[in-house]
Amino acid sequence: MTFLQPSILWALPLILLPVIIHLLNRLRHRPRAWAAMQFLLAANRSSTSHARLRQWLILLFRTLAVLALILFVARPLSGGWLGWALSPAPDAIVILLDRSPSMEADSATGDGTKREQALKLLAGAARQFEDSSHLILIENALREPQQIAGADALGRLSTTGPSDAAADIPAMLQTAFQWLVDNQAGASEIWIASDLQASNWRPEDDRWASMIAQLDALPQPVRVRLLAFNENGSANAMVSLSELTRRTKGSAAELDLAFDIRRDDSSSETVPVTVSVDGKTSQVETLLEGQSVRWRQRVDAPSDSTGGWGSVSLPDDGNGSDNTAYFVYGSDTAFAATVVSSDDRNARFLRFAASTRDKEGFVPAKLASPNEAASAVWESDSLLVWQAPLPKGDVADRVRTFVEEGGVAVFFPTADDDAVQFQGMGWGALDAADGEDVFGISIWEENEGPLANTDEGLRLPVDEFAAIQRRRIKGGSAVLAAFEDETPFLTRRSLGRGRIYFCGSLPTPEWSSLGDGFVLVPILRRALAEGGRRLNRDSILACGELNAVDRTKPWTLVDSDQPKDILSQAGVYRHGDRLVAVNRPESENEPTVMEADTATGLFGELPVRLWEETGQREDRLQGEIWRLILCAMLVFLMIEAVLILPATETSELAKEAART
Amino acid sequence: MASPDSKSSPLLDPEMVARLTSQPLVARFPMVGSVSGQHKSPHRGSSVEFAEYREYVPGDDLRRLDWRVFARSDRFYIKEFEADTNLRCHLVVDCSASMNFVGEHANRLEYAKRLAAALAYITIQQGDAAGINCVGGAKSIDLPARRNPAHFQLILDSLEAAKPKGETKLPSVLHELAEKVRRRALVIVISDFFCDIDELLSCFQHLRFQKHDLAVFQLLDPVELDFQFDRPVRFNDLESSFSLVTEPAMIREQYLTELHKFLNRLREGCHEFGADYRRVTLDQPLEKTLSDFLLERARTTAVSPV
Repeated sequence: MTFLQPSILWALPLILLPVIIHLLNRLRHRPRAWAAMQFLLAANRSSTSHARLRQWLILLFRTLAVLALILFVARPLSGGWLGWALSPAPDAIVILLDRSPSMEADSATGDGTKREQALKLLAGAARQFEDSSHLILIENALREPQQIAGADALGRLSTTGPSDAAADIPAMLQTAFQWLVDNQAGASEIWIASDLQASNWRPEDDRWASMIAQLDALPQPVRVRLLAFNENGSANAMVSLSELTRRTKGSAAELDLAFDIRRDDSSSETVPVTVSVDGKTSQVETLLEGQSVRWRQRVDAPSDSTGGWGSVSLPDDGNGSDNTAYFVYGSDTAFAATVVSSDDRNARFLRFAASTRDKEGFVPAKLASPNEAASAVWESDSLLVWQAPLPKGDVADRVRTFVEEGGVAVFFPTADDDAVQFQGMGWGALDAADGEDVFGISIWEENEGPLANTDEGLRLPVDEFAAIQRRRIKGGSAVLAAFEDETPFLTRRSLGRGRIYFCGSLPTPEWSSLGDGFVLVPILRRALAEGGRRLNRDSILACGELNAVDRTKPWTLVDSDQPKDILSQAGVYRHGDRLVAVNRPESENEPTVMEADTATGLFGELPVRLWEETGQREDRLQGEIWRLILCAMLVFLMIEAVLILPATETSELAKEAART
Repeated sequence: MASPDSKSSPLLDPEMVARLTSQPLVARFPMVGSVSGQHKSPHRGSSVEFAEYREYVPGDDLRRLDWRVFARSDRFYIKEFEADTNLRCHLVVDCSASMNFVGEHANRLEYAKRLAAALAYITIQQGDAAGINCVGGAKSIDLPARRNPAHFQLILDSLEAAKPKGETKLPSVLHELAEKVRRRALVIVISDFFCDIDELLSCFQHLRFQKHDLAVFQLLDPVELDFQFDRPVRFNDLESSFSLVTEPAMIREQYLTELHKFLNRLREGCHEFGADYRRVTLDQPLEKTLSDFLLERARTTAVSPV
């Protein structure tokens, strides 16, 4: 037997109270002179065994009544037949509903979306418990526990409709756990309806272990039922914004859009893509080949406008919620870079390679010496080029913050050895080519990253690059390009929303041919563009990323007449002059889906079963048995009352004896 | 008839006894007195109450021959009349320590003394003889029965002087009394009778065997009859140093059973031996006790015409 309020058990010594009261009562006797002693002695002799037994029984039942009272307050739980007979329904059913965009896919059975079917099944199952259990709904967008009146209300709530926010199952479980603790619920079940998308479940997350341990440690039993929709219905295609640049060309302006389109189907087909800019809609027939396509489109934008919004939509398919990507644009994106270098010659190459363009023409990147780095301002830039001993202390913290907020930092080696490490990465030994030999690059990442092929599909001439000196790169990171002996040339590491690049050589001629520009310029230009995204990070958001201050503001919907909520639905919203495009999070595009066994395995020792497995009697939930304890207490008190009642014949005797 | 001489005494309420004297104390059986009185005697005498005819035997007083019967039947018959005699009443008051019980209403011994004083007064007032015997107590008191009104003051003084002490020695005193009082008398015993019932009943039997008229007053307090206590009590025995701590509610049933058994036995024993048994609770007014006693005696006829 376990208890919901085990601390109450400290009151158990109180069961001695009746005994103590009895002893105290005996101590406070009154003296009485008595003549009829012979009857008293005879009565005392003959009544001893019977009366003493009765007295012990009275004491026993009083003690038991107090014990039952304490147990009742401690809220005992019992499993097995007892718990089943006395409390067959769980005290609370916490429903974790995944209503992320991936749940809008058609279900495998073909009747409605996965979310709709989940709601139908959940409502059907909850109906038998709605009178006896508390029904609590926690959905992924708001993650607020919400008590629902009945099973039928489940389908009508706005919080069970489609949303564009990603689901964070560990966080939802944490919310459920918190609710169970705060409300001191009794035996509970957690029902999870989800499509088992790996990016939602995050099986590698550290939170799982602690969460399961916490749930397992709860005094009340908690059981999990998993309603899994990990089988896909009809074929689906999804679109997401990849890049957005506004350019001014003379008096006209155009938007350079790049979208990623992912499809289940890899066959070639022509798809009408609808592009909408500031409400003007056009349709482009696009040939899609392969499962993952980057689709670029230039569209005219009003040259005089300072900003606007738009969307790109695919035709309706197996999932209606991932066919549209929203964007907003401001005036021309102003990129800026800072080069921190102690070497003038290298700095010159780097500054020009990272130069930006404004109305006047090209502007080289700003330059700061390592000594000035502490005071230099690069927070408003998109790119930081670091060709100096690796940053330490406060400067390192500033660089880290810059990258975590979405900036890009590219590190180049120095001629001198440098033992300092930044984020676990650093510079190793200096290699020099022997004689006429040079270090060439044979393999590099051509699909994405700074050395990716051009939009037209042309390869960069990286294989023409030659290095005479190089510095080895230490620390774990993704290799984007490597020398012929597999020594990394360019590596990348993600940090927060930004990235760190390490490039193993320098542009000066005694180091390499980087100075020729055909490798250095693409690297830095693309890094500049990548880091530029941080500049409009406030305007293109993933659903659910809105910060706490912005959440409280009144947002009006721009892209549609249908009412939408900025916290849970994608779209373009306006507050004052500020336009915000909310898209479903990138994680929702991840196609990886877990197996049901993997998902149940995450719960460790916690009893978990899939929806299809009907209830087995032996693992029935432990139920609260306070009703039994209360009844027992009443029975004890009644028996005690009967025992202390004076016998009726006694009063007859007394009457008769009094009769003269 | 002369009133007994008495100074004012706390034991005697003159108004009460004045009300009670209208009803004489009568004996249920023939008494043997020394002088003529208002009680039946076992002997034939000269009262106006016709008793029987019997045949003349030589030596009978010729004055008592019934000439009218002789004239009708030609036989000699003697007409006999009952003799009236006086009554000698022996009051036995138990002065053992158990009589010192104090209930809510009265002290048992006080009640017994007042009862005895009133009975003595009534007896002497109607011309009969009264004596007193205080059993146990600090000082043994034994006053023979006398008709002299001045004797009543002696009785009162003795009663006032009686103090409760010691165990009940009632049986031995009653046996002694049965032997000592040769002629038939009225013996009134006032006690709680908390002693051995068999010995007590044998005393009663002895007294009745000696042809005494026996009246028994058992004085009990309502507390002793109810045994109602709401918390544990240490019962200290009045006649010894023994004490018992107990929860009265726990043993009440058994106590009442035992008490009831004893009282039944006593009453049945009294009936068996022709004793006039009266149980008096101390909350009962003395006047009622006495008037009930006197009236009932007057109503009842003798159980045996001995």
